[in-house]
Amino acid sequence: MKLLSPRRPTDPYLLLLPTLLILGCFFFYPLLAAGKLSLYSWDLLTPPRFVGLDNYRALWSEGLLLHSLELTLVFSLGVVTASTILGLALALLLNRPGRLAAFARASIFSAYIVSWVSVALLWLWILDADGGALNAALQRLGLPGWRWLSDPRLALPSLAAVTVWKLAGYAMILYLAGLQDVPAHLLEAAALDGAGRWQRFRHVTWPLLRPTTAFVTSTGAIASFQVFDVVRVMTQGGPMDHTNVLVYAIYEQIFLNLRVGRASALVVVFFLVLLGLTLWQLRLWLRREGAEGQSPPA
Amino acid sequence: MRLPRRALLQGAAALGLGCRPRAAPPGRQLVRLWYTYGGKNRLVLEQLVAGFNAAQAEHWVQPVFQGDYYEGLAKLRTALAAGAAPALSHVVGEVIPYLAEAGVLEPLATRPGVDQLDLLPALGQAGTWRGGGQRPLVCLPFNRSTPIAFYDADVFEREGIAPPESWQALLEAARWLSTTDASGARRYGFACPIDWWFWAALVGQAGGELIEADGRISLGGVAGIKALELWQRMVNEDRSMKPPPGRDYNAWEATNQDFLAGRSVMIWTSTAFVRYLEDNARFNVRAAKLPGFVRRAVPTGGTHWILLRAAPEPEKAGAWQFLRYLHEPAQVARWATSTGYIPTTQSAVRRLTEAGHYAEHPNDAVALAQLDVAQPWPWSPRLFQLQREIIQPRLEAAVLGRQSPRAVMQDAVRLAQREP
Repeated sequence: MKLLSPRRPTDPYLLLLPTLLILGCFFFYPLLAAGKLSLYSWDLLTPPRFVGLDNYRALWSEGLLLHSLELTLVFSLGVVTASTILGLALALLLNRPGRLAAFARASIFSAYIVSWVSVALLWLWILDADGGALNAALQRLGLPGWRWLSDPRLALPSLAAVTVWKLAGYAMILYLAGLQDVPAHLLEAAALDGAGRWQRFRHVTWPLLRPTTAFVTSTGAIASFQVFDVVRVMTQGGPMDHTNVLVYAIYEQIFLNLRVGRASALVVVFFLVLLGLTLWQLRLWLRREGAEGQSPPA
Repeated sequence: MRLPRRALLQGAAALGLGCRPRAAPPGRQLVRLWYTYGGKNRLVLEQLVAGFNAAQAEHWVQPVFQGDYYEGLAKLRTALAAGAAPALSHVVGEVIPYLAEAGVLEPLATRPGVDQLDLLPALGQAGTWRGGGQRPLVCLPFNRSTPIAFYDADVFEREGIAPPESWQALLEAARWLSTTDASGARRYGFACPIDWWFWAALVGQAGGELIEADGRISLGGVAGIKALELWQRMVNEDRSMKPPPGRDYNAWEATNQDFLAGRSVMIWTSTAFVRYLEDNARFNVRAAKLPGFVRRAVPTGGTHWILLRAAPEPEKAGAWQFLRYLHEPAQVARWATSTGYIPTTQSAVRRLTEAGHYAEHPNDAVALAQLDVAQPWPWSPRLFQLQREIIQPRLEAAVLGRQSPRAVMQDAVRLAQREP
């Protein structure tokens, strides 16, 4: 133990200093700057003008704040839920030896390593209302085609489906790793006790996959909250702002509308939302840890 | 293994050199040019820059690509704030009043040879903005365009119809040309991006002004409503107009692709696409003037060259020399014929006419002739904001969301008149 003790009490802080510097330069300072700029009206050309909370008021009264927030949460919830379920289902289906299963696993995972822009361009063609592959297939089956990207009701679900398509392979790989960690003797014991396939999954496999699920949902939430590329390439926030999620709204305010103050106000709100979600998740985690710690041994 | 210190220093130096912009050859003044052209336009501009660099030994223009128009503008503002602006760039007309009022543009009136620029009146500052001639000269036109109609001449001939001259004729032609085949695939008679520029054209045709002579923002008044009603009817009732997916230039590109693929028979787009459409269509592409309602009218578009006041004077002087070179008839003609933009000087038009260019390319002649009905924009620093924040989002709401054009425009006017 003595080997692990620092020679000087300041040594741990010195070791943390590089990380602190990086975080300070690229996270804390920009965040503080955004907080300050959110109180100004500034177009980068004329001198900034202090406007107090006017940027927040304008975003609120125009409905952009709530609208973008709601879209982002709905999008994220849909993507995380669907990619987790699909990833798990694919992992259960393909958790077996054989070339076909290996080929299927590699094919599904390949979507994850393709760049977002390439994926968006591919799906732009598939979802095209008039010349797209999906509508052509539907029409061959005698079904009507849909305006996947230009119908306000369908645009966000379409983008969510594309995101799920890309993320599901990643979730599948993580679940496959998790499944391979499930001890075979526990499943055998459950089977000997008369448990069916569903009961073995429900009472043995699923509880043991909980850490994997936590990781899959956390990374899925991070990816879906930061969605930008597919929106930029496929819909540019439209139609009628129905895909104007938070990160795209920030981009639009600063790069298209030339409003640094409003973009900064959105950044602050975005940060607070993520902070709130993180604290909520941490609280749930700690509560669960506490409950497990207090539970009597079986 | 330990890396020798010298190797580390050499590596760092190489990295630094790699990031540093290429310097001008010895004895030449570096002129930084930020541009936002892609594809063919980029290629032609780079050839023109190479021609200038080879034609003289005093300056060295270094072109740097900065993304699309809006990305380029954002980078330009950031560079201005950081004190690192280039001497020369080009921006869309809608932001010129805003940049001029912010005091970041170099006045050009005293630059040598400015009086010799024989610009086409409709495309220069004097004709692009109401009262533009009375203001200090801050920009020069180069890639200028107007909205124009392109149509599949083979289909028009087969159907025995002529390009529409009025809104009523447009409605009838679009309906007549729209069909659905046995597989359910729809061919639209007409397609047009739901975009501010084309809406402004319709407002002008319906007799409206975005900002009245007394400075009051009206957004066309009744004309603004009529423009939306026309689109709404064609998209939702007649199903004769395809609103392309996407926004901004993505929607423009989708419109062009639909036309080339035969999914729409007639489109409104920029005159700048004439070469691209002619080269890539498997049918005869013909251009036509936009139709009229109470009058014929088109706004002008594209970008203008600007010199940034904050740049060092020697660099601005070099940039001005480059602009003079670009405005020589040979360069203007080359740019126009290679890209499809309208030539900006009278001498270039004469040169092209004498060379038989317009007889050989009748579509280019249509674009040029349409300048007779070009409508100037209001000179307002808020023009860009009206475009981006007030009008553009509401066009979709009316056309795709089927909201009442009157209510949408009343809301837009209320917001425009209230918000600074």
